[in-house]
Amino acid sequence: MTQTLKLMRPYGSEEVKGLLNPLVREWFFSKFKDFSVTQLYGVKAINDRKNILVSAPTGGTKTLTAFLSILNYLVELALKEELEDKIYAVYCSPLKALSNDIYVNLVRPLEEIREMAAKKGMKMQNIRIGLRTGDTSVSERAKMARKVPHIFVTTPETLAIVLTTSKFVEKLSMLEFIIVDEIHALMNKRGVYLSLTLERLNEQSTIEPVRIGLSATISPLEEIARFLVGNDRDCLIADVKLVKEIEIDMDFPGKEILDAWTSTSHRELYDMLDEIIEKYRTTLIFTNTRAATERVVHHLKEQFPGKYVGLIGAHHSSMSKDRRFEIENMLREGKLKAVVSSTSLELGIDIGSIDFVVLLTSPKGSARALQRIGRAGHQLHSNPKGMFIVLDRDDMVECGVLMKEMIEKKIDRAEIPKNALDVLAQQIYGMAISKVWDVEKMIDTIRKSYCYKELTREDFFAVVSYLAGDYALEHRNVYAKIWFDPVEKKIGKKGKMARVIYMTNLGTIPDESHITVVIATPADKKGQHVGMVDEGFLERMKRGDVFVLGGQKYQFLYSRGMKAFVKSDVSKNPTIPSWFSEQLPLTFDVALEIGKFRKLLRERVNKKQEAVEFIQSYLYCNRRIAEEIYNYFYEQASFSEIPDEKTIVVEKFKDEKEYLLFHSMYGRRVNDALSRAYGFAAARLKMRDVELGIGDNGFFIAGESLDENKILKWVKSKDLKEILKETIERTDVLKRRFRHCAGRSLMILRSYRGREKSAGKQQVASEFLYRAVKKISNEFPILREARREVMEDLMDVKNAEQVLRWIESGKVKFKVIRTPIVSPFGLGLNMTGRMDLIRMEDRAKFLRRMHELHLKAISNRI
Amino acid sequence: MEFIGKCLLVETLEKKILTVGDLHFGFEEALNRGGVFVSRKMYQETIEYLERVFEKCGKVDEVVLLGDVKHVFGEVIRQEWDEVLGILNYLKEKVGKVVIVKGNHDKIVEPIARRAGVETKDYYVAGELCFLHGDRDFIENYDKKMKCWILGHGHPAVKISSGVKVEKFKCFLVGEFKKKKIVVVPSFFDYSIGSDPRESDLGFAWPFNFKNFEVLVVQDESLKVLNFGKLKKIR
Repeated sequence: MTQTLKLMRPYGSEEVKGLLNPLVREWFFSKFKDFSVTQLYGVKAINDRKNILVSAPTGGTKTLTAFLSILNYLVELALKEELEDKIYAVYCSPLKALSNDIYVNLVRPLEEIREMAAKKGMKMQNIRIGLRTGDTSVSERAKMARKVPHIFVTTPETLAIVLTTSKFVEKLSMLEFIIVDEIHALMNKRGVYLSLTLERLNEQSTIEPVRIGLSATISPLEEIARFLVGNDRDCLIADVKLVKEIEIDMDFPGKEILDAWTSTSHRELYDMLDEIIEKYRTTLIFTNTRAATERVVHHLKEQFPGKYVGLIGAHHSSMSKDRRFEIENMLREGKLKAVVSSTSLELGIDIGSIDFVVLLTSPKGSARALQRIGRAGHQLHSNPKGMFIVLDRDDMVECGVLMKEMIEKKIDRAEIPKNALDVLAQQIYGMAISKVWDVEKMIDTIRKSYCYKELTREDFFAVVSYLAGDYALEHRNVYAKIWFDPVEKKIGKKGKMARVIYMTNLGTIPDESHITVVIATPADKKGQHVGMVDEGFLERMKRGDVFVLGGQKYQFLYSRGMKAFVKSDVSKNPTIPSWFSEQLPLTFDVALEIGKFRKLLRERVNKKQEAVEFIQSYLYCNRRIAEEIYNYFYEQASFSEIPDEKTIVVEKFKDEKEYLLFHSMYGRRVNDALSRAYGFAAARLKMRDVELGIGDNGFFIAGESLDENKILKWVKSKDLKEILKETIERTDVLKRRFRHCAGRSLMILRSYRGREKSAGKQQVASEFLYRAVKKISNEFPILREARREVMEDLMDVKNAEQVLRWIESGKVKFKVIRTPIVSPFGLGLNMTGRMDLIRMEDRAKFLRRMHELHLKAISNRI
Repeated sequence: MEFIGKCLLVETLEKKILTVGDLHFGFEEALNRGGVFVSRKMYQETIEYLERVFEKCGKVDEVVLLGDVKHVFGEVIRQEWDEVLGILNYLKEKVGKVVIVKGNHDKIVEPIARRAGVETKDYYVAGELCFLHGDRDFIENYDKKMKCWILGHGHPAVKISSGVKVEKFKCFLVGEFKKKKIVVVPSFFDYSIGSDPRESDLGFAWPFNFKNFEVLVVQDESLKVLNFGKLKKIR
């Protein structure tokens, strides 16, 4: 059993001081006045060789906390000339742009300590630091293999590569420390992957290295600690709280929130931003999407000609690496007045002196919100300062609750995927490349990882069978990547190319290719870039199709190269499910808080004065906002009913079709699962396809006629997983996820025999593969993983089951209301348009039905 | 002229000819070579499908393969050798005479065809019918005696939309060009459904006006086709 122990208080400054070698101590106090709180928590624990997770807000001194004990230890050894030719510490970070951080926290301190030693005439061995990432050149890598660094700085992917290099492995066999930085950015398959790499590192080391995790504010810390250390190891937790106050406010452009989308208030939005940028030294503006990022930069430049030239920049993940570095450097040098980012600047890289953060539209979770605002006041003594700017009423309520969470320092829970079979496949391959394994030993090693604690033998052997080529008996040799000897119970690699294939295809982040959507008509908007869609999405579109992107409807006209040209100002309803979405989902925890707020306000909705005051004090917002929120709720109460944490209001209304709109405030991941279950219930009643719309605040199903009594009763928590398995079977999203899983499990190699495959080519290949795999077995492990990913990572089946249990126990009730049209609370949801289909009618039936329709029009026959 | 699933059965005065569209054997191995690990299913599925076709059409005198029998350009790979040889032997045993009309993918199909004792031609004429792949034009085919061209190459398919969902199906395209009847046969291999002529250029050597062609949609499982009328009328 893993025990986690929360450190109740920091160690005393004198005690920590006492740990340091005189030379290191002198160096430290020549740079800093005293230890930071983070250092007081962490340095001693690491010195005592205890596993520790250090969680501290951004702007802390985490990296040096992790390194100080290690530097101290190495300097002592170096002074005694006892430094050996081995790797003492591995530092692993998911960020690629590490060099600056490492220079500040490692290279420079070492140089300075060395200089001090030299001045004193002390002899000291050279402590080597090696940085290796995917970008490190072959010659540098060779140099490192000859002269092993004492501290090895790397990324999760490169660490896994190194583990297949026997020279390096030798030097890692007495590893003493592993530092994992930015753990909060690893709550995904990349983290799962790293957790296995760490176990491999452990397995081949003769001593058990200390694990040190560094994280921004995140929750639940106990789980993250377990993830860091793996099973059956103990871990200390240092939860360093932000002592600074957060200064946060909220506003919207224009007079009324309902007008926030009109063109006048559009201008006012940029006036607002302009005013903020004027007032502060450097402002960081977060939007949620790449398209919005570009748009904001564009409009600021346009509305204030000349003013922002060279002073404002965009920063998002689809920009080139060079361009991003350039922006980061300009920020550090204080050359920019403002930078606009989607999500890419949330993460740890030091970006200098930001003193104000604008959160333009909801960040969708409190941890993310804190992370973003923490980018301001990065300096030790200034408070993080920022402001929400909201553009619609749902956003306003959501940001209001987020603001409350931030001020009260509540953090929503993160989750790590479990038992991912694609990552497992890649790692088993890697393990087999390093050496011949005893099967039981391999299983034990894998199960040490927190993410595979409950891995079943069946799943393990299914993956082994896939890798050994058992699923394609007649052509075993073509597919086999490993061999498995069931008699001797051993596993090893197959093929001379194994290492090359592994090295060039390793990793968990799928290649994506995006098509830029550009407006072709009307003329006044011609040439505007409105966003990006997935290449696969474009493939399914035909001329005239209407789709939704960033909340707006567009009609597809034609495509040229990597651009899709569209018509804007479309009134037709969407004709094509827009699965592709850049939108972040609202977290379940925050959604429940909104449900709670709705209930509290619902109880007061008939007393305006009291209600407005309540909103102000509850959400810490100003009166202008409070009144707008009140009006919104009041309208909903008069038109239909206010849904809340105990009531899911289901509105039934007729448009072209019959609609059931569920006001289920659980966030999009849960609603995604719920909508498919209720959609399936509706579809099977009539054996016809049903349309779905899914949002953070609820979902709707639309069909020819919907019997709500039967539909609502039919879905049960115990059946949910089975229903979902059925409904996602023919969706594009499963195919898409399958492509990612096939890539991770090396069924599709992006690099093979010296040739690289573009994302588009991988997409096409995965279509073939998907079809082939389904013929082999519907339970093929990688197909199962794609389903798991859809249900557990993309959707949130666990919490959806929880909601259904609440409904079954009566804790949450449905209230069906007939409305003439959609209610105010449902408006935003209804506008997002149709997102997907529950396909009930099979291809053959569909074809015959369409044929009958066509027959009426056909008179001439062959 | 009878449409039997993905295949076309034609009758001249003298004989019954079964026509099979692009087969693309070797496709799976080509994928494997490119680092995509699909298993080999094509051959078995092809035989099974053809068995059903033969059962339905009774005695057939000849089989014409409309080209692109193999997939890889410039070489003959293992799967092509095994499976093309296999299918040719199978067909010869069934019907006696097999003709391959050469496609752009089969520049070097001869070594296999000769081994199986099968003729390869640039185009093949039977009565008023002319079978050709479709990527190249031959002056002889404009002869007045030829009333109908039967083509492969284009992989025709059609997207059918109910306004809510869209599905793509393999189809035959039947129309006219220079006073000749044109029949485009869908590709036989199942890895790709094909291309809708409304969206992509099918790559023929002639500027067919597909809008006025009739669309005969192939159903996935049954061997029947459904006539959807002119392409321009399809939503």
